[in-house]
Amino acid sequence: MTAGGYFGRALVVDVDGDSATGTPLELDDRVLRSYLGGVGLGTWLLHRLAPPGVDPLAPEAPLAFVFSPLVGTPLTTSAKFAVLAKSPLTGMITDALASSQFAISGKLTGHDAIVVRGRADALSVLMIDAFGVRLEAAPELAGMAAAEAESAVRERFGRGWRTAAVGPAAERGVRYATISHDGRHAGRGGLGAVLGAKNIKAVMVKAGTRVDVADQRAVLAAAKDLRERSFGPATAKYRELGTLANLLAFNAVSTLPTRNFTAATFAEAPRLAAEELHEMRGVARNSCASCSIGCEHIYSRKGGGSQRMEYENVFALGPLCGVSDPDDVFAASARCDELGIDTISAGGTIAWAMECVERGLIDAPWLRFGDGPALLRALDLIGSRSEGLGALLAMGSRAAAAVVGQGSIDFAPQVKGLELPGYEPRSLQSMALGLAVNARGADHNRSGAYEADLSGDLDRLAGGSAHVAAAIGTEDRAAVMDSMILCKFLRGVFTEPFDEWAALLRPVTGWDVTADELRTVARRIVLAKRVFNLREGATTDDDTLPRRMLDTPLELGSGRTATLTEERLRSMVEGYYTGRGLDVDGRPDPADLADLRL
Amino acid sequence: MQVSTHSDGPAAGIVLAGGRSSRMGESKATLEWHGSTLLRRTAGLLARAVDGAVVVVRAPGQPLPALPAGVEVVDDPVEGLGPMQGIASGLAAVADRAQVAFVCSTDLPFLHPAYVRRVLAALDSDVDVVLPHAHGHRQPLAAAYRTALAPVVAGLVADGQLKLAMLFDHCRVHRTDDAGLLADPRLGALDPTLDSVLNVNEPDDYRAARARPEPEITVQRYGALASNGRRGPETVRAATLGAAAAAVGLALDRHVVAALNGDQITRDAEMPLVVGDMVAFLSADAGG
Repeated sequence: MTAGGYFGRALVVDVDGDSATGTPLELDDRVLRSYLGGVGLGTWLLHRLAPPGVDPLAPEAPLAFVFSPLVGTPLTTSAKFAVLAKSPLTGMITDALASSQFAISGKLTGHDAIVVRGRADALSVLMIDAFGVRLEAAPELAGMAAAEAESAVRERFGRGWRTAAVGPAAERGVRYATISHDGRHAGRGGLGAVLGAKNIKAVMVKAGTRVDVADQRAVLAAAKDLRERSFGPATAKYRELGTLANLLAFNAVSTLPTRNFTAATFAEAPRLAAEELHEMRGVARNSCASCSIGCEHIYSRKGGGSQRMEYENVFALGPLCGVSDPDDVFAASARCDELGIDTISAGGTIAWAMECVERGLIDAPWLRFGDGPALLRALDLIGSRSEGLGALLAMGSRAAAAVVGQGSIDFAPQVKGLELPGYEPRSLQSMALGLAVNARGADHNRSGAYEADLSGDLDRLAGGSAHVAAAIGTEDRAAVMDSMILCKFLRGVFTEPFDEWAALLRPVTGWDVTADELRTVARRIVLAKRVFNLREGATTDDDTLPRRMLDTPLELGSGRTATLTEERLRSMVEGYYTGRGLDVDGRPDPADLADLRL
Repeated sequence: MQVSTHSDGPAAGIVLAGGRSSRMGESKATLEWHGSTLLRRTAGLLARAVDGAVVVVRAPGQPLPALPAGVEVVDDPVEGLGPMQGIASGLAAVADRAQVAFVCSTDLPFLHPAYVRRVLAALDSDVDVVLPHAHGHRQPLAAAYRTALAPVVAGLVADGQLKLAMLFDHCRVHRTDDAGLLADPRLGALDPTLDSVLNVNEPDDYRAARARPEPEITVQRYGALASNGRRGPETVRAATLGAAAAAVGLALDRHVVAALNGDQITRDAEMPLVVGDMVAFLSADAGG
């Protein structure tokens, strides 16, 4: 009997020419309990379905939409899903989480995951409901923004469908294109490019069944309790100002990456601060589906319209590029949404290019730090993937640096090809390790080790064994939250997270799951991702940071310098390997592989 | 908060706590200081000022108040031999980790990190000791020493030569007066009257010092903590981080942390504050 909250099967959709067929893939209880759902189950599916060495943009490369046992329950923030694929940006596993009704409708097609393979002859939409799968040619959607495409398919196919769509950048193969739905994005690693390469503009799902939980009454009680706790001080930041509240605080503690990581403070940060913008331009606050936090803050734009702003897009399109005019940053953010590209990778790649211009390595004298219109022009070139600079920057900073050469890789702000998020590694040294070793690349969602750096519990400027333990701990917690799935903005409400998460899973699934079992699940998921990357050729050389971070001390606002040497990072990486039971090359003991149930 | 203080690598801090406090009539180490203790404050100030180990030297088995995290305690081998023995024990305790150390007594409630850095900075390669002459007096217990002196000091103690003047006869001493100290613009701005060297020996000294206003610092709240119009810098008087938080209606807990002078982040409510400090209060739930 399938556990509560699950259907016990994935749907593998093979697209070929002008048709698509769906084949169920049974997911037994052992696999579900080992990987839960979301990122964990998606990792297992990629191991099963991605041919070793596959080109991420090849037809046979799978793209997985993965739901979770909590999707469809009244537990706050549970309407989430994961999207996984081999990344065209990193060549390794990538996953992104998103929240919307797509999660609920997708799961209620009767599947715990939907995996898409193949390629359509013409631009198409893939439609999945409880009755089957079909492919519809949709050439009229070409070049449309994702939101526009969502409206168009709703008009054409009627209401009741939920849509995940890509923008024009994905159609053109920009390697950090996103998948969007209800204005939210599965943003990192180029998942949109994978879907675009299949000639699929949108995946549409319609709910047609229901899923039972093991103990409905207990789930309702747990949902009520979690909802009440979600209104407490642990989420105040998100409710009141949203993630953009980070910007001024990070500037105050010299960890706001500025001008391609050449500085960690930005003199004009107050212009972009949530505290300022909230008063002057705040117009609304929204929630994702099934969420009681409401972290989404909407600001008015000059000349009309509004824009959702988060810390990461403001950091990447603002200080990282030296841009301080909020209207330029708002416009750049909106342009990324329209094109369907990851703001972090876009901002990081453009900031790298701006430095290349400064150093005379790229001949584009108009592309200067601090120039908002130049930032918009660069985004348009990327979105159109126009010959020359557009095509170069559409590859991401690592691949572009390989073309430009002349040492430009040393200051390309990336790990494993994924551009760094807005956390300066030299002044957050637990996070430095988290960024270096994470399977997805430079990532703040699968490794939230900055929490330890900002907790006051350790010296954030002197990475050592305590930082290793912190990085492993946050990675483990993220692995479970991203698999069961709960929004990480809830993480502060849990005082004994593994115990409390087990208590949430028990009434949903009917399993007698314990905290210790979830700790094992966490380690398994982290290891499974690493093993996937090893299979694809990753080595210990990939577990590092850009040379700039290791060679160049960072001057802090206090006057002190923060130094992260290669030796210190390597020592932490080795500590991480030891803590994870890996050998000196970051490889697992073969005996541990059996536990992965691959 | 620690700041690189010396070109010879990490600088250590040594607090001598083993004195008998006979004129005070009670242990100076445990004297109350704005919700903390005198020793906690002095050790905390040294920890803020140097980038190496901080060691408290006490008499054998002497009870001490709570100390800042990471501060080490070493025992004098023999009680009652005065500061020479304490310096010998302290320098020996850190000699494997630091080439230079700032040495001070417990009873310096107005010690400013800028003073510590100024004195350490004067300890160049031609000098073994930087001996301030402030307020007209030698200040051997607010001075900088090379840790390589440890065996020299120990030898003098073994020979029964317990006066610090004997040590200065055996090493290269750089003497600096008020004007020399205040030539450092940062120290001149933050401690223009060199209160850093004011010690409290008798109850009246203590009462007078305790009655002084707490240092004036600047506080700024960020993010959700800045709601209800409480944005921008505020000036408050507070001797500790906890008092600064309370002054603006906050408490340091799992949701609130403080960054001192844009540098180290902490929830240590007893972290000592000094004139000129800037404290940023942040949501501990940063990120996302």
